[in-house]
Amino acid sequence: MIHDIIAIIQDYWLLLLIGQYPNGPLGGLANTLILSALSIALAFPVSIMLALARLSKWRLLRWPVTALVYITRGVPLLMLILWSYFLVPLWTGADVPSFVTMLTTLVVYQGAFLSEVVRAGIVALGSGQMDAARALGHSSLGAMRFIILPQALYNMIPSIISTFVSTIKDTTLGYVINVPDLTFAASQVNNQLLTQPFQVFFILAVVYYAICWSLTHVANIVERRITRRRAGLSGGAAPVELVPAKIISEQL
Amino acid sequence: MSTSAAEIQQVQTIRLSDVCKSYGDYAVLKNIEAEVARGEVVVICGPSGSGKSTLIRTINRLEEINSGSITLDGQNIHAAMRTRELNLLRSRIGFVFQNFNLFPHLSVVENVSMSPIRVKGVAADVAHDKALKLLDRVGLADKARAYPGQLSGGQQQRVAIARALAMEPPVMLFDEPTSALDPEMVGEVLAVMKSLASEGMTMICVTHEMGFARDVADRIWFIDAGQILETAPPEEFFKTPRHPRAQRFLADLRH
Repeated sequence: MIHDIIAIIQDYWLLLLIGQYPNGPLGGLANTLILSALSIALAFPVSIMLALARLSKWRLLRWPVTALVYITRGVPLLMLILWSYFLVPLWTGADVPSFVTMLTTLVVYQGAFLSEVVRAGIVALGSGQMDAARALGHSSLGAMRFIILPQALYNMIPSIISTFVSTIKDTTLGYVINVPDLTFAASQVNNQLLTQPFQVFFILAVVYYAICWSLTHVANIVERRITRRRAGLSGGAAPVELVPAKIISEQL
Repeated sequence: MSTSAAEIQQVQTIRLSDVCKSYGDYAVLKNIEAEVARGEVVVICGPSGSGKSTLIRTINRLEEINSGSITLDGQNIHAAMRTRELNLLRSRIGFVFQNFNLFPHLSVVENVSMSPIRVKGVAADVAHDKALKLLDRVGLADKARAYPGQLSGGQQQRVAIARALAMEPPVMLFDEPTSALDPEMVGEVLAVMKSLASEGMTMICVTHEMGFARDVADRIWFIDAGQILETAPPEEFFKTPRHPRAQRFLADLRH
């Protein structure tokens, strides 16, 4: 069993690492990491903008974004992927690479989820901080940037990391529209070997676990560092209590 | 130039005329008429739920009003205006909250220096030096690097006063500044407020500290059910209150 796994890694490590590259498109683990990093890097700012739009006093901004978030959250990701994969080329006539389709769908989908996390963090702060900022003459955007968001995002680190982790895991769904990622490479290996699906997908599971675990671990370190800097954070001025960090690992 | 400056000196700093506010059918403020002169210290007192906090929050427009006007040096605070103008106006009215509302993610000195930097565009090192001076003034120079969570309630409230003073407001509003404090910390906050009053700061304070009202206030506004029922100098108000509601309020306090 362990021999099989080692043998598979020895034979197919390059395919699992970079896919068909340089003879074909970049794939494998490299592509999974690129897709994950880009999705997270884009979904995060998008989610902050969506959250601010949902809290906006302008209905014209609030309503469409609220609708978008509700619809996106109420539809399975796989269906959104298939929709964008089949419908966007049909409507626009453009030949969109599957990687771009996957990236866009993930950013919209996870952006919607993350926006609710960000919004919850902002709302949970209570009105006192915003009152104080306004009383000192801060504009609402300035107050958001320097006073509300630094606290809201910090308080929500565990939930934000959970969403990042599920973003990484959701990249596997790119498989259905032929995004050449790690899952795609593993399934190619499996198709060649035919008799060792458990071993092949065990390797896959370990690699995904390692990626997600590393992310949570780094996040924990960052969170601890901020907590230490703000040591003594408690009492009347901080209505939100810290969520214990272990929740993150439970959601892995 | 000199005459107009003298005229401004005489103009009342804050004037509330016919201010009404209601939540749905419930009238919180009814036809409030009042003014505060430059350098005057006004203490608002009254039973809970009488509209004291709402009244003081309308003065820097943390609460909107339904009708009437509130002016600061002749400028209507509740007029339709650009948010930039409103922010500028607010920065000229210091506000101290019951729950301090310090920014817990910033150190004490950052709490005090941040708004001058971000709102007024003061250079960071200038704002920092000014913040240290203000902290020294409220007796917390040694806590500049601490975070709000590491301070006692009384210390936090003194930082909050320093933070408001950093914007150099001509007027300071206090909304029950000592109500969230342990009894032994009330004195240190009141001492800071007293020294401010003695330096000629125009102040409006909602407070239950009748000792402070007696010593420091120039006038007391007694408010109940959204109306100012009596305004009088403290010695008159405490000795011979005219309004029966005020008499009852003071009698209840003595028990």
